[in-house]
Amino acid sequence: MIKKSHIPKLDDFLDGGIPEGTSVLFCAYPGIGSETFGYQILNGRLQEGDKGFIFTNVAEPSSIIYEFNKYGWDLEKNIDEENVFFVDGSSYFIGSPVMGKYSIENYSQIKEVVKKAINDVPSGVGVINNLSTLVDYLGVEETLETIHEWNEFAKLNKTVLIYIFTKWDYEEQFIDEIKSSVDCLVNVNTIEDRVIIGQGFMVVSSSWTTPSNEMALFFIIQPGGVRIYIPKILVTGPHNAGKSTFVKAISKKSVSVDRKALGKFKTTIAMDIGHMEYKGFVADVFGTPGQERFDLILDVLAKEAVGAFILVDSTLPETFARAKEMISKCKAEAIPKIIVANKTDLPGALTTEKIREIMKLGSDIPIVPASAREKIGINEAMDAFLALLYRD
Amino acid sequence: MRLCVESGVPGFDDLGYSDLGCGIPENTVTLIYGPPKTGKSIFSHQFAYHGLLNGESCLCILTDYGINELKQNMMGFGWFLETQIQNDMFYVIDAISRLTGDVFPDSNTYKLTSLNDPADMMVKVGIGTRFVLKRSDDFRSVFDSLTTSLAFNPDKLVIRFYRAYMHRLKEARGTAIVNYTEGVASDVVENAIKSVSDNIIRLDGEYLTIERMGGLKNIKAPYRITDKGVTVEKE
Repeated sequence: MIKKSHIPKLDDFLDGGIPEGTSVLFCAYPGIGSETFGYQILNGRLQEGDKGFIFTNVAEPSSIIYEFNKYGWDLEKNIDEENVFFVDGSSYFIGSPVMGKYSIENYSQIKEVVKKAINDVPSGVGVINNLSTLVDYLGVEETLETIHEWNEFAKLNKTVLIYIFTKWDYEEQFIDEIKSSVDCLVNVNTIEDRVIIGQGFMVVSSSWTTPSNEMALFFIIQPGGVRIYIPKILVTGPHNAGKSTFVKAISKKSVSVDRKALGKFKTTIAMDIGHMEYKGFVADVFGTPGQERFDLILDVLAKEAVGAFILVDSTLPETFARAKEMISKCKAEAIPKIIVANKTDLPGALTTEKIREIMKLGSDIPIVPASAREKIGINEAMDAFLALLYRD
Repeated sequence: MRLCVESGVPGFDDLGYSDLGCGIPENTVTLIYGPPKTGKSIFSHQFAYHGLLNGESCLCILTDYGINELKQNMMGFGWFLETQIQNDMFYVIDAISRLTGDVFPDSNTYKLTSLNDPADMMVKVGIGTRFVLKRSDDFRSVFDSLTTSLAFNPDKLVIRFYRAYMHRLKEARGTAIVNYTEGVASDVVENAIKSVSDNIIRLDGEYLTIERMGGLKNIKAPYRITDKGVTVEKE
């Protein structure tokens, strides 16, 4: 029997939800809090009338109750009604009073105590927060053995186990073993450039369905929890670099707000809007106007953008300074970006090396040769962009 | 692009030119270690305050004392934080107050976390770096100290956290000071902490030794703690 995860989009990825008796690992890059996923699943299941528990070896139960309140979820009432309980593996170790149905005062007790907790919530859900802390207490081998035993026990009891895991700098082999110990792996990644500017989750493996390669970008709100959003991608660059054509080339659908300058050539006067869907990545695309008199729009368009394509006309190096100015005005220094060297098919087009040299760009910013009109290099540009976004 | 930042500690920047100039190499993490009560925290406060006076925001992680104690300690040297806090230039991640019960509500620039929850601390570091970078392109960070984290977490986890913190700080191109009290952890852990750090300075109560920083090695000078904070003197 499959039950909803109560995480938006995750149920679509998982073919309806999470089957009873299975284990799900949320594997988060340091800097992203993934415990909200576990808490939101638990809260949803409690509202459906199921029972559950939280094993914590990080925050104390009182802090978790406080967090739940901030999300607008009433954990205390469920504790009072004996729908949910804590396995407190935190308080004793920091000298606070222990709280919960079970408590841990010695790490050697963990395996058996959690098994008791699983036994108490048949067809329910248990949240294990945090598996990575457990590793450094128990060691790699004992942790793996413990997970296997819990998962086997949970399967018999039809209890879903949700593991919260922070991917610190462990050996790759250990990470692989942890990942293969569970029925379903959800990666929680950052989108960053200097700092974290976004976060997304993706189902990497699942024993009951074939995962898509789609990443859902999300933010966490209080109250509310995990919320999905469609990210915004900027396409910017100097006048006549080919931005509108590029927006059309990467979008399934697009519209332009433009007019014919001097009655002859179209020029964008407000923006191009497109919707990009490529290899599971979905985004709204905003193409900025290139002329300086419309620069006031750039700041508005730049808000909440998670990445940018900077278009330059490969045949016109005199416009590169303007391109750099637009990177700055769009605040694109602080988001992942690639340079699309457009019109590469035209005579006099500079090589990407020459463009990098003139624009004084670091090697970390990819430059992709392309011709938006001839649809050359479009997929390469999008691949380079996704590689940057996902930090492949 | 400048290569070093001024430490704000009188006499320190004159100790010698490293490969990178004088001061503390920019975009590095400097470990300050030594016995208790030798001025490590004061040095880091000077470093943070000097940056603030130059318009550089600061991300401060507190594990030994809360925000009130920090303000009081700094006030003793005439370093007033109120304006910087009001201007959102001073961002504090407080990992101790939950434990001591001296809790303030979260704000734009004040986030509570727990000492035994490095994953959450790292989340706050992520949010904090983004915040301070919006305030100023150059920023500093102070982590005072690793010592208490070691008391509440497995050693390995603290080192993992330290590496992740360093990575995040350096990606954001910040310059950081991290304090650690000598002798609290085993030699193995202490060596691991040192080997991870970019620069190492030791304070022993009488002498300040730059064990490693840029091209500098084993430079020793006497210092005193005066009403101006740590002051490095000429031999």
